[in-house]
Amino acid sequence: MLWATRRGCHVDRTACVWLIRRFIDPEAAFAFFGDPSEAPDGAELFDVVGARLSHRGEDCSFETFLKEYELEDPVLQEIAEIVHDADLMDEKYGRPESEGLDAIVRGMQLALPDDQTLTGHTDVLYDGLYTYLSREVL
Amino acid sequence: MLSDMEERTRWVILVYQLPREPSRHRVAVWRKLKDLGALYLQDGVVALPEDAVTREQLEWLQLRIREAGGEATLWEARPGTVAEEGALVEAFRASREEAYRAIVAETERVRRKAEMGGGVLLEQLGKLEREFRAERRRDYFRSPLRIEAAAALRAARRAVREATGGTEGQGTGSSK
Repeated sequence: MLWATRRGCHVDRTACVWLIRRFIDPEAAFAFFGDPSEAPDGAELFDVVGARLSHRGEDCSFETFLKEYELEDPVLQEIAEIVHDADLMDEKYGRPESEGLDAIVRGMQLALPDDQTLTGHTDVLYDGLYTYLSREVL
Repeated sequence: MLSDMEERTRWVILVYQLPREPSRHRVAVWRKLKDLGALYLQDGVVALPEDAVTREQLEWLQLRIREAGGEATLWEARPGTVAEEGALVEAFRASREEAYRAIVAETERVRRKAEMGGGVLLEQLGKLEREFRAERRRDYFRSPLRIEAAAALRAARRAVREATGGTEGQGTGSSK
């Protein structure tokens, strides 16, 4: 399936890409566009204003994904808190990891401006976070 | 102070209006804008220097305002003159000064306590360091007080570490 979002991915979108690949659609392909009018036809949009899979109320897009796909994995819930705090900067969950994640992904974005390349690398980052939190949570 | 800005800043301007009731939406929006360090040009008109983050944050806020039954439009803009832009930059710097001053004052207090051998200061210091990082994030034009606050925090952390024999101060980036 083709998924599409805006270019210049930061924490929320890179985390959503990882979530889609690992938990929702292993065959996923991704398109990154500048303006929503350039979105490819038939693609499932995410983290785009007005899309089903986007910010909703206080939630960031990653949290909306968990709810929409009923993913109740407690490790994913923890990652959602970290992503939320990094994305919305409102310290809702007071997760100290979010500051580090924010700095790392921001830096990776500068070093790897192409979103396909970037998300290939951030996947490894979220794999690591998932593995690490699994030891603590489960 | 525009000499160090060869390329002029682009600004994002949010123009919004929310229903008077329920007031919680107005408060939530106001708080979010305050967190972002946005400057009110007048009632319902706020400015931020444009970058990927500020723009995106204002886009989500625009969505929230609309969901709450309000109206919001987002603009890219540049003040008409260099002088007006200079005044805007100065207003941004000034808007951070009070917070930095409070951090410096509180940090000095912690350092003096540590030097007199006071205990359990790490938590207070950690809180001040977090406040500083939040302040730095919304300090778009490097208020001169930033350096002062950073120096005060370094001195205080040194003092606290010495007071606790240098063991307690390790690995305490978070208070968790």
